[in-house]
Amino acid sequence: MTKPLISVKDLTLRFRTDEGLVTAVNNVSFDIAPGEVLGLVGESGSGKSVTAKSLMMLNAENSVYDESSKITLCVDDQEHDVLSLKRPRDQMIIRGGAISMIFQEPMASFAPALTIGDQMVEQLMIHSDMTAAEAKEVSIEMLNHVGIPEPAQRFGQYAFEFSGGMRQRAMIAMALSTKPRLLIADEPTTALDVTIQAQVIELMKDLVDEYHMSILFITHDLGVIAQTADRVAVMYLGNLVETGTVRQVINSPAHPYTRGLLNSLPKLDDLEAPLTPVPGDIPSPLDRPSGCVFHTRCVESGEIADKCRTEIPLDTIDNASHQVACHLATQGDPA
Amino acid sequence: MSDVLIRANNLSVHFPLSRLGFGERPVVRACEGINIEIEKGSFFGLVGESGSGKTTLGRAMLKAAPISHGEVIYTDDEVTYDLGSLQGDELKDYRKRSQLIFQDPYAALSPRMTVRDIIAEPLEVMGLTSSREETDTRVREIADLCRLNLEHLRRFPHAFSGGQRQRISIARALVSGPKFIVADESVAALDVSIQADVLNLLNKIQRDSGITFLFISHDLSVIAHTCDFVAVMYLGQIVESAPTRKLFSETSHPYTKALLSAIPSLDPDVRGHAQRLEGEIPSPINPPPGCRFNTRCPQAQERCRSEVPEWREMSSGHHVACHFSEELA
Repeated sequence: MTKPLISVKDLTLRFRTDEGLVTAVNNVSFDIAPGEVLGLVGESGSGKSVTAKSLMMLNAENSVYDESSKITLCVDDQEHDVLSLKRPRDQMIIRGGAISMIFQEPMASFAPALTIGDQMVEQLMIHSDMTAAEAKEVSIEMLNHVGIPEPAQRFGQYAFEFSGGMRQRAMIAMALSTKPRLLIADEPTTALDVTIQAQVIELMKDLVDEYHMSILFITHDLGVIAQTADRVAVMYLGNLVETGTVRQVINSPAHPYTRGLLNSLPKLDDLEAPLTPVPGDIPSPLDRPSGCVFHTRCVESGEIADKCRTEIPLDTIDNASHQVACHLATQGDPA
Repeated sequence: MSDVLIRANNLSVHFPLSRLGFGERPVVRACEGINIEIEKGSFFGLVGESGSGKTTLGRAMLKAAPISHGEVIYTDDEVTYDLGSLQGDELKDYRKRSQLIFQDPYAALSPRMTVRDIIAEPLEVMGLTSSREETDTRVREIADLCRLNLEHLRRFPHAFSGGQRQRISIARALVSGPKFIVADESVAALDVSIQADVLNLLNKIQRDSGITFLFISHDLSVIAHTCDFVAVMYLGQIVESAPTRKLFSETSHPYTKALLSAIPSLDPDVRGHAQRLEGEIPSPINPPPGCRFNTRCPQAQERCRSEVPEWREMSSGHHVACHFSEELA
């Protein structure tokens, strides 16, 4: 087995607030292999984005990483301890060098007063020793590559002159122009129409093959995950509750939360199937439930409800690669 | 048919833009020649991409967008209104009978009003209740219907999650006792499990109270689950409409087909089968001649570029505007 590109171990992240320390991410561990697409799923407030931002040290000033947290980035047989990179110079490798990020709302991630071209050239010149002319050439080529018509003309336009789908393509072009090893895509298709979403997903799949790049794909849409990811990690209130290959998680979900998410999706092949929401709302991270964090909304705990309320479930490995944190799974309950 | 609640006949909504230099004033043709009938007590779905004119059509049905040509007729047990010429007291009365639920529950609620005041405001503005006690009773009834706790009524919107806020918006729309509600992308901003919860709530309200819904969404899978009847919109025109089941089993327009296949499948083994739709929706200022979908249609032929397809009935209740529907079906 090859070394993982990035390895996250026991990541615990708290935010210092007026109401005290708020736990946003709790004991999260996962690896991403080179060329692998890991899907990270969960509701709003489950800590998906905060986890992803930790990989680039982009979290706000008031964040506190736990002592035991460790993120190791392995590029060209060289290991980098991400959380110990403090100076901006050292952080270049995780900010646009080996890791790039595309965001949900492409309008908000481009500077409105600079042309798309200026922004692409700027970051290329920071991360490589290209001249401005070379950087321009590479940028136009990248724009062409992601399917933007008339790239040379588009290069000189502003973000507001692009449509939503085009903006997201330009964002992808910009993120990929430095040839990162890991692309973090934070809900890249949520703001797009289904037809444009299908185009963007297709584009990203092609690019993974071409550049042999890894992707951390964050979304709350399990359909998008099923179409893109190799492995899936399901997150709830800062904890990973289930990880496995996309087939394991979607076809035989082992955690009640994953099942709940799947049941609440409208399915086209069975219009009669009722939509079953996960009852209640995600609790406030200020007031994390004891024991299993999901017990307040779990409908399956039944007889062992007391145990769920008090004991924290450990990760159990179903078979190779399929992990779940649930007491029901340890009991050998037919899931 | 007598049990049609609201009907649009050849409805067009145009927004003139300011003149650029000389020549004709450019016009955004947001809706063009729309014919729809929404039956009483039905859940009518309207689907299409951004920029297809769904919202404008929904607003025209509420007389919140200008009606440039054609007419919109509203008929219930008590009154009949022609929305184009509606004004004064009649318009005020129509505002009680029709309501709108917005997309973004974070932007739709005033942060400076308590939930009780938000829900009570329509009652006070419309003069539906005469005393504070009456208002409070009515607010409590509606809050209960929308599964809001009574203690929630004293709080401000910031204390609530997206799903709870959307339930507050629904309560506000319901409080004046409307007959017709336009729900504009009301679940688009919500998480899937919350989305399921809000959809179930809307369906329950429709079943229990017989309110007619116009449900606008870009997501066909959501429409499929909630609506009885679906109209598909593209660039200001309805391209296909049918009872939900029929639309999915006998899809006759290439655009509807493309929308259906663009929904990501939940089966990881079925990948890359999407019939991809190239390009993006053209500008409604200068729509393509002939069939408006011809620039993106995989089946487009010469005829589609010159001749506007007729709005014709394929089978009972199933209409489509495409020259080649027979070959596609």
